[in-house]
Amino acid sequence: MRDLPGGPALLALARDVLTTELLPLLPEERQPDALLVAKCMAIAEREAELGETPEHELRILYGAGTDTDELLRRFARELRIGAFENSPDHDVCARAILWQLTLAKLRQSSPEFLAANGFDQPGGAIGRAKPCLSPVSRKRSTPLPKVKSSL
Amino acid sequence: MAGTASPQSKPRHAALARFLAGASAASAVEITALNRLRGGALQENWGLDARFSGGTLDGDQRLVLRSSAATGIAASLTRHQEFAVQKAAFAAGVTVPEPLFASDEPALFGRPFFIMRRAPGIALPDRITSDLALDPALPMIAERLGGELARIHAIRPPRSDLAFLAPCADTGPIRQIAGFRAYLDRHPRPRPVLEWGIRWLETHIPPTDAPVLCHHDFRTGNYLVDGAAVTAILDWEFAGWGDPHEDIGWFCCKSWRFARLDREAGGIADRAPFYRGYERESGGVIDRRRVRFWEVLASVRWAMIALEQTDRHMIGGERDLDLSLTGRRANECELEILMLLDRKGSHSDA
Repeated sequence: MRDLPGGPALLALARDVLTTELLPLLPEERQPDALLVAKCMAIAEREAELGETPEHELRILYGAGTDTDELLRRFARELRIGAFENSPDHDVCARAILWQLTLAKLRQSSPEFLAANGFDQPGGAIGRAKPCLSPVSRKRSTPLPKVKSSL
Repeated sequence: MAGTASPQSKPRHAALARFLAGASAASAVEITALNRLRGGALQENWGLDARFSGGTLDGDQRLVLRSSAATGIAASLTRHQEFAVQKAAFAAGVTVPEPLFASDEPALFGRPFFIMRRAPGIALPDRITSDLALDPALPMIAERLGGELARIHAIRPPRSDLAFLAPCADTGPIRQIAGFRAYLDRHPRPRPVLEWGIRWLETHIPPTDAPVLCHHDFRTGNYLVDGAAVTAILDWEFAGWGDPHEDIGWFCCKSWRFARLDREAGGIADRAPFYRGYERESGGVIDRRRVRFWEVLASVRWAMIALEQTDRHMIGGERDLDLSLTGRRANECELEILMLLDRKGSHSDA
């Protein structure tokens, strides 16, 4: 068990001191560097709080027992060869996972960009990917609802 | 030793002054200022003030010396080639600083360079896209930029002065897609969204137009604005033959909208004035569907560039906070790819 305040809280406090107390004392030409430092601290803070990008849906897709990197690698390989394109259900499922991955990463790296694009309700607007099976592995999956592709 | 002297050293100034005098047929040249200008990650721009006695530039001149940075990237032109492209653009009536002289002689500046006139104005994209005082002029600037781009695209092969530019087949979408995948194969982390976007590109390649001179980095940040006037199109290092829609897609790509994501033409205006300026100058019609293809490609390309910047930190060992963060911008490009290609979106938990 770690002591309190925890890492994210310490980073938040340190960032606040940096931006409100130290930044005005720096010469103007070094202030952009201090803002970059603050940005790094904010990302580290959010990554410590939110953890890794979601892997739940990928595990439904490919099954348990593989590390996240390998799941992502496999997903990427299958996307490259268009493995999800033969079935509208698989296509919708793949897109849902892509959205999930992207929004989760941006919540950590750039929540202001998400907000600027209308994704500004953490915990609200992001839907779960529908469970499905890998078109390559042909593992059993939960049947998918029919959703029309937008392409 | 001349090869290692600082650009600010007296021998370097003297050698440069002799070069300028010889090139302009002046009896003497005195360099009164030589200062590094802001911007230019891949090339260095130096503000050069000089007093010419006689010759073609007689009097006080405000110039820019543009040299290669210490480390370049393979895709960019040499300074001599960039000089030739800029000359062709200047001759075609593009608003570009007049290029004057070029040199590969290492004793002069340590690296190849060329000299051009210095145009007034600002290029800072955050300022251009957020300065309320500029706001009323921005649609007009967008229209003007459309016309400038059409003039660039009026330069067409074959051109003996631009024979060094790669043929279109070497820079077209098929080759770019292969390059993207080769990069992702080397990258330590999988990028499923980029793979998906590249797959879409691969299966939606439009028929190509007759090749034109593309700037290949025509965007907010690479032109100068002085009041309501566009005073220079800058940074020609990636120019090459290509499809005209590629430059239009790059200009409108979300990554180059800075403070105003809602203004689809470079963060400064709606597309309408930009397209109007282009179509009036070119006499042709922009194919909106082709622009969409190139806009998706632009987002993929920018994501690759962002990841490569962080590689310079992670793999190349450059200790740079900005570079270390740039790779995360790829996430923004991936969101844009999804928004462009999956408008309904699977994110809305239908």
